Amino acid sequence: MAEAVLQAQPGLPHAETGRIPGNKGIWVGITCEIVEFVVLFAVYFVARAHFPDAFHEGAQRLSLVSGTVITLLMVTSSYFIACSVNAIRNGRQRSSLLWLIAGLIVALGYPIAKFLEIRWNLAHDINGSSGIFFTVYYYLTFNHLVHATWGILGILWVLARLLFEGYSAEEHSGLDALASYWHATDIIWLVIFPLFYVLA
Amino acid sequence: MNTRDNFPTLTLTWLALVVLTLVSLGLGEWFRAAHWLPLLVAAIIWLKGAMVARYFIESHLAHPFITRLLRVFIAIAPVALVLTAFFGDTLARWASL
Repeated sequence: MAEAVLQAQPGLPHAETGRIPGNKGIWVGITCEIVEFVVLFAVYFVARAHFPDAFHEGAQRLSLVSGTVITLLMVTSSYFIACSVNAIRNGRQRSSLLWLIAGLIVALGYPIAKFLEIRWNLAHDINGSSGIFFTVYYYLTFNHLVHATWGILGILWVLARLLFEGYSAEEHSGLDALASYWHATDIIWLVIFPLFYVLA
Repeated sequence: MNTRDNFPTLTLTWLALVVLTLVSLGLGEWFRAAHWLPLLVAAIIWLKGAMVARYFIESHLAHPFITRLLRVFIAIAPVALVLTAFFGDTLARWASL
């Protein structure tokens, strides 16, 4: 654990380096999430290497509109939550609360967009047994949806704490932790989107 | 603790992410058959991930473990995409039981 001693990075003041955004617990969770998706992406690439034609044709059958909408929702909710953190750091609690509410509203668009996408898929005979591409697509995107749902529950919890002034400019590690988790989940979607919707 | 107002930086990052998303859509439509498309898509995946990590998570100010974790994760998919696109047969052979 000697490696865990915080050391300043060159060129930056010591107080601004080596911080843990949020808390250690959330980064254990984010690390597990990342490891899980690395395994899932490995399966994707092995399947893609074995069946390049199935992946080429499969991507053309998916709803590009749904994938794009989910991407914009993820990126925008991530931005709103980052603005919420920025506001609380500067002592603007009300502004932080409003940004987080905006983040929640936009984040809730994801499960709705996914529900509509699945309905569209089923109407176009796209289900889990439609071929290797769709099997991989369903388990990877559903898995991401599960992680995003945990994030939405986290937003609700942090929102409740923010409503009762549980965070301040000095202590807002809970909000920081939630933001880190949501941004990590956003990064994962930013990988999923082109792999399934763009590379047709 | 960083108490600067980062709102302009966050907004520019969000705009860049939206633009890159739309650009990648255009690339996918216009250059569907291009041999180099996976290379460009891989670069965009890396760029978007790096932007979220740097400007939203502030990974460059974080503990070295977090910085490295994000750096490696953001690089994995683009590298794997390029390898699959250009050496797919070799990868399939290695990954066969």
